[in-house]
Amino acid sequence: MSRIGVFICHCGENISRTVDVERVAQEVGKLPGVAFSTDYKYMCSDPGQNLLKKAIQDQKLSHIVVAACSPRMHEKTFRKAVEAAGLNPFLCEMANIREHCSWVHENKEEATVKAVEIVGMMVERVKKNRVLPTITVPVTKRALVIGGGIAGIQAALDIADCGHEVILVEREPSIGGHMAQLSETFPTLDCSQCIMTPKMVDVANHPRIKLYTYSEIELVEGYIGNFQVTIKRKARSVNEDTCTGCGVCMEKCPVRKIPNKFDCNLGMRPAIYVPFPQAVPNTPVIDRENCIKFKTGKCGLCQKVCGPGAVDYEQEDSLVVEAVGAIVVATGFDLYTIDEKPKGSAIKGYGEFGHGKIPDVIDGMTFERLASASGPTGGKILRPSDGREPKQIVFIQCIGSRAREKGISYCSKVCCMYTAKHTMLYHHKVHDGQAYVFFMDARTPGKSYDEFWRRSIEEEEAVYIRGMVSRLYQKGDKIVVMGSDIAVGVQVEIEADMVVLATAVQPQKGADLLAQKLGISYDKYNFYSEAHAKLRPVECATAGIYLAGACQGPKDIPETVGQASAAAAKVMTLFSKDKLEREPIVARVKESGCVGCFACKKVCAYGAVEEKEIRDRQGNLIKTVAFVNPGVCAGCGTCQATCPSKCVELDGYTDEQVIAMIEAL
Amino acid sequence: MKKKKMIISQETMDVDFVRKVEALSGTSVRRCFQCGKCSAGCPMGTFMEHPPNRVVRLLQLGQWQRVLAGRSIWYCASCETCSTRCPNKVHLASIMDALRKLSWDAEGASKESYVQLANKLFLQNIRTYGRQYEMRLAAVFNVKSGQFLKDLMLGPKLFAKGKLKVFHSKNKNMSEIEKIFTRIEEMRKKGEAL
Repeated sequence: MSRIGVFICHCGENISRTVDVERVAQEVGKLPGVAFSTDYKYMCSDPGQNLLKKAIQDQKLSHIVVAACSPRMHEKTFRKAVEAAGLNPFLCEMANIREHCSWVHENKEEATVKAVEIVGMMVERVKKNRVLPTITVPVTKRALVIGGGIAGIQAALDIADCGHEVILVEREPSIGGHMAQLSETFPTLDCSQCIMTPKMVDVANHPRIKLYTYSEIELVEGYIGNFQVTIKRKARSVNEDTCTGCGVCMEKCPVRKIPNKFDCNLGMRPAIYVPFPQAVPNTPVIDRENCIKFKTGKCGLCQKVCGPGAVDYEQEDSLVVEAVGAIVVATGFDLYTIDEKPKGSAIKGYGEFGHGKIPDVIDGMTFERLASASGPTGGKILRPSDGREPKQIVFIQCIGSRAREKGISYCSKVCCMYTAKHTMLYHHKVHDGQAYVFFMDARTPGKSYDEFWRRSIEEEEAVYIRGMVSRLYQKGDKIVVMGSDIAVGVQVEIEADMVVLATAVQPQKGADLLAQKLGISYDKYNFYSEAHAKLRPVECATAGIYLAGACQGPKDIPETVGQASAAAAKVMTLFSKDKLEREPIVARVKESGCVGCFACKKVCAYGAVEEKEIRDRQGNLIKTVAFVNPGVCAGCGTCQATCPSKCVELDGYTDEQVIAMIEAL
Repeated sequence: MKKKKMIISQETMDVDFVRKVEALSGTSVRRCFQCGKCSAGCPMGTFMEHPPNRVVRLLQLGQWQRVLAGRSIWYCASCETCSTRCPNKVHLASIMDALRKLSWDAEGASKESYVQLANKLFLQNIRTYGRQYEMRLAAVFNVKSGQFLKDLMLGPKLFAKGKLKVFHSKNKNMSEIEKIFTRIEEMRKKGEAL
């Protein structure tokens, strides 16, 4: 027999203005099972909570209903108070008579009747509440960081500096990501390599960071605090432990003319190579597609010249399994291509800009490599076609970005600033040249950003022309750019030597596949989705997985570093406890009725549903049923709604409880 | 001229002229970011083919010929509303002033508004007579501008009130007047004056 206590709150005048709270308390007191009912001015205040605790002890109450504001506001407060009085906190429910009643009604009589009904429903429901033990899961205090760009590096360093082991996985042969490719960074124009490489070295030397380069995530199993991650280490063909990084192999390699991806295909590299001289680790990798040894079986020169004997043609891809408690995803971005529409892609190329076939029409990253002191031209701005210095250079912003027709409607955020930076770099390097920028809007929010943009115009003499370019075409060795100046209202034509397109920021290729392995959600562009756009911007909806950098959306370096540190802080919060406590509002499967259709598994957004085999004593398989991992379940109830045999129930929200509530009406 | 396609290059952007405008007006042309506030509040803006913001924009592109070919600079009443309200401290009224001054020698300046003609005839009269000779000014202006009957009916009224004299009266100290003109001409040759 339940002894229910009902506590009606006035909420100052918020509730009592339109609801006769005393009458509600009287009427509810008559309901079967209710042993005690009272009202108070502020239930959430200290005296209010004490009233509640005292009543539980004096009246020997078994269940509690607090009729007040929304449970979102004070459910935790009252459950804590109930727990302090010795009851299981999940035997306390809230009836919302403020947002759902007093605030939305004017007629006191009607509102009072409605309040009685709302409380009555919760009384019937709380009778069927079960004692729920808090779920605890152990936490493995190691973190996995996916992606070795500035975001991944920052997150890894922060976590490792806090005393936890970090596994950093990078797909390319070296860490550094896109930031290592940049020449200088806005808004201070400090050299990107100069600020990036020390951090890369810190990662390499950190005793608590385990670095897997040239590796990819193969499989992710488990849940928050207890992930098992299988990492595929692609065959490098060079032994990382014995290689000294002397570089003799690269000097002797007979294959020399392979376009270097790191230099945006402007520079050449041998078949055994490091992407750039400051690479971390400084261990070369053999590009098996272009290596003569792998193509014909002859050559083998690199192995002959290698002093420590680190070159190993027999090396194969290997798998390693690592146990981690948290995952930071920092896979970064890629740039939109204006080439013809790639197969299976929603984006369209730019025929009006020559589909990428005009050699002196380059993208922003290629310009970065040209302007970089360590780039293929040693920092000289030269045309890729004939190596001449361009005297008239045109920059065009918003290529792909903000072009719904091309498949992207978002703003890439960094292009306005990096184009302003490009005009400055150009002006510093080509004094007699003139830079023109076609733009639609200049979006420069950020500390010292607008001042930087204005500087490019007022001091560095860039001519900004508001209006989009309709088309450009090759004419002799010039590129004719046809645009318009919408401030004057006339068409504009410029014969340029070089055109730089500020192409859109897109998620890294294969971002969707990785998301499927991790069980995290992503938007239509393949950017990873955060749990809450404002209040949980670094967490995924899937517990234990955090986001950093441009894999979540276009970001500049300061923002990326900020988010990476924020993700690290979230990981540390998780690691601060030995065991993780979770709210026990999770789904449970009635195994007797489950037919193993796994409709629940398909709809679960959190990957919480697993397959469980039921065997008899001899070990013969009876059937396979669904099992909800309480460590992963977020209590959304989708499985409950989906189950055709009504065999999944969410604790605290069972069908029985909901029916009882309806019947109380 | 207004709608003609603009071919932009280092040759067609006359930066030197814009520098002169900036030096004369003591304000930066490049600083303007085309918010349009000057045009929004300009009392003469509706009469101009290039509203104030566009005048600045054309200067940013070094296209001063387009500005001077129009009437905008002559419609400007120098009320300074634009300068007062500009968020970027671009003193547009001074720019307009500078443009009017520079238009004196510039090629392709507006023939349409006859302001230059009126100015020149006015000064010629002063130089010849030492003071203004209205009858001659009006007559020569009408002939030279090809508008023979312009303001003809004003003549009798002015005549009746004694404001229009048939015969001129010369200044007694013409040599001093001539000195002023020669001095300014010399200064202009040296580049000390406009």
